[in-house]
Amino acid sequence: MIRLSGRFRSALIIGLQGIRARKTRTLLSMISLFLGVLAVVVVQTGASVAERAMLADVELTEGIDGTTVLEMNPTPEAAKIVVDTLKSSTGATALVSVTATIGEPGVTAINPGGSPFGENWGGGEICNPDGTCTAAAPPGQAIDLQLSAMTSDVREFRPFRHRSGAWLDFTTMPAMAPRLVLNEEAAKGFAEHRVPAELHIPGATSNITPQFIGVVDDGNNAPTAYTRLDELNNWLSAEGVVDPNGGNGVQVMLAPGNPVAQVLTAKLRGIGVDSYARTINSRRDMRDELKLFRLIFLAMAGLVLLIGVAGILNVGLATVGERVEEFALRRAVGTPRSLLAGIVLAETLLTGLLTAAAAIGLSAAGLKALSALFGDQQPFLRDVQFPWEAGVAGIIAGLIAGILGGFVPALRAAGIPIATVMRA
Amino acid sequence: MSPLIELTGVTKILKGQQEPRTILDGVDLEVHAGRSIAIVGRSGSGKSTLLSVLGLFDRADEGAYRLDGQDITRLPERRAAKLRSSHFGFVFQRFFLLKHLTAAQNVSMALVNGQGWLPRRSRRAQVMAALDQVGIAHLAKNKPARMSGGEQQRVAIARALVRNPKILLADEPTGALDTETGTSVIDSLLAATGRGCGLVLVTHDRDHAARMDRTLDLVDGVLTERVPA
Repeated sequence: MIRLSGRFRSALIIGLQGIRARKTRTLLSMISLFLGVLAVVVVQTGASVAERAMLADVELTEGIDGTTVLEMNPTPEAAKIVVDTLKSSTGATALVSVTATIGEPGVTAINPGGSPFGENWGGGEICNPDGTCTAAAPPGQAIDLQLSAMTSDVREFRPFRHRSGAWLDFTTMPAMAPRLVLNEEAAKGFAEHRVPAELHIPGATSNITPQFIGVVDDGNNAPTAYTRLDELNNWLSAEGVVDPNGGNGVQVMLAPGNPVAQVLTAKLRGIGVDSYARTINSRRDMRDELKLFRLIFLAMAGLVLLIGVAGILNVGLATVGERVEEFALRRAVGTPRSLLAGIVLAETLLTGLLTAAAAIGLSAAGLKALSALFGDQQPFLRDVQFPWEAGVAGIIAGLIAGILGGFVPALRAAGIPIATVMRA
Repeated sequence: MSPLIELTGVTKILKGQQEPRTILDGVDLEVHAGRSIAIVGRSGSGKSTLLSVLGLFDRADEGAYRLDGQDITRLPERRAAKLRSSHFGFVFQRFFLLKHLTAAQNVSMALVNGQGWLPRRSRRAQVMAALDQVGIAHLAKNKPARMSGGEQQRVAIARALVRNPKILLADEPTGALDTETGTSVIDSLLAATGRGCGLVLVTHDRDHAARMDRTLDLVDGVLTERVPA
């Protein structure tokens, strides 16, 4: 072990001396290798950033990886059981969704049916059997939106991006005027249209005056508002929120391994409501999607790297040719062949590592610059960090290039006869 | 006293594209600790080949080689490298100093050879002691380009001595030096024999040969003792 360590250290010391003695050649080797390693690092960085960006968007709408999502038919009984079961449990949130209208009562909304502004999903019309449709009500200043009422903070599972104002505080007493947090599309509607602050929910005892407290990015392009279920319950019961005919749903999100899932499923089955559980695994799905693209780009980067390897090989062979006497002399003073090979490999490996460090440094700096310059325009570039996987890929590429480029010169060096120094 | 090196009937045949040629023909040689031997002969007489066989650079085709009483005639390269490191010191006509290294680093090269590991401090102490033995400790930080031929050869001798070898093999070490410098280099080599090191000197210079304990003539691969006149 000590002998091995001695050889390793010897190879490293002599390799470093060789690099210092031939700075220009080392630089030339690095230049020939640089583009290849840089290509590998950039491809890996791009893939990681794309994966994270896609994942971040999916997390907003679907939930973070590992979350168990329980969905069921939206019956009032099911809603009551869900709310009662989750009342005292942690690591689980129920979202009860209902279509609501904010604005003038008895009018057709600006976005009938809760469609995104600028799109028309239809609705607000009564169609006759003969195919002719007439407006159900005169158009007015109202906005239809999806109202999601929560039993606790949903951001544990769906990490909404904060845009402005505040998020819902679940530690305070429920307010009589329900506090609403809008998504960006809803906020856009309220910014563009003058709408009276009157919230109408089917089944509520009366119209409600809401408080808008903040805006988030929830990844949803339909206008949506989030509120506390208990604040809504001041105006209608939990089971009253659910409209079995409205196509809305009750969704429960649970942390991985939360036993409440089984309890809830059993209770729902007891009242004859089927529930469907699924676990979110977006990262794996995304990786599968990106795998092919990543492989294609990595293959191209590998080709560029091979050209770099040819360069380092060329320089390595030329250097060994020049150092014949040195290697013969080293053998004469007792250096084993394996160490001579090790010296050459150490030099090319160190060159590969130095190149990798330069490529990683440049990529990290480039990514930082991109983030600073275009982060405001491109959300996926905002606060983006250099992925460690790209760094590892760069180091591996540098090492592989060092081994491939140094292997043949190392064999040549090990085969130099000692008698070279005698005949000189 | 048993010899450090004992060659018996060593024959070396050069097999090239032409007719095989006998370079060493049944050479018998003993090298003792603290004793010096000069080998003289014309160019092409096989002096360097004999030194190659002695220094384990090359292997004899016939005959036996005993080192410290052990038969090492058929030695694998790995063990030969180890023995070269532990038993031998080599000095060549050309000094073979690495120009990008200082004198101390050139000497240290014989210590950083993968045969065991010495901490930096011990390494430096041994290097300085070797440079001191040949009287150039003050040039430790100089690179070869800033040294004279004699100084460079002394660095080469220090490199040969740094591992305290049992045998010094010198292949025309004064060939590239003037007479005066050559004499002082031979002084340094002979000083090593005073410390118990065996010395085999290949030379054309009869004056230097005359300073050795024995002088052997190599003629057409046959080694014969020169009888003092």
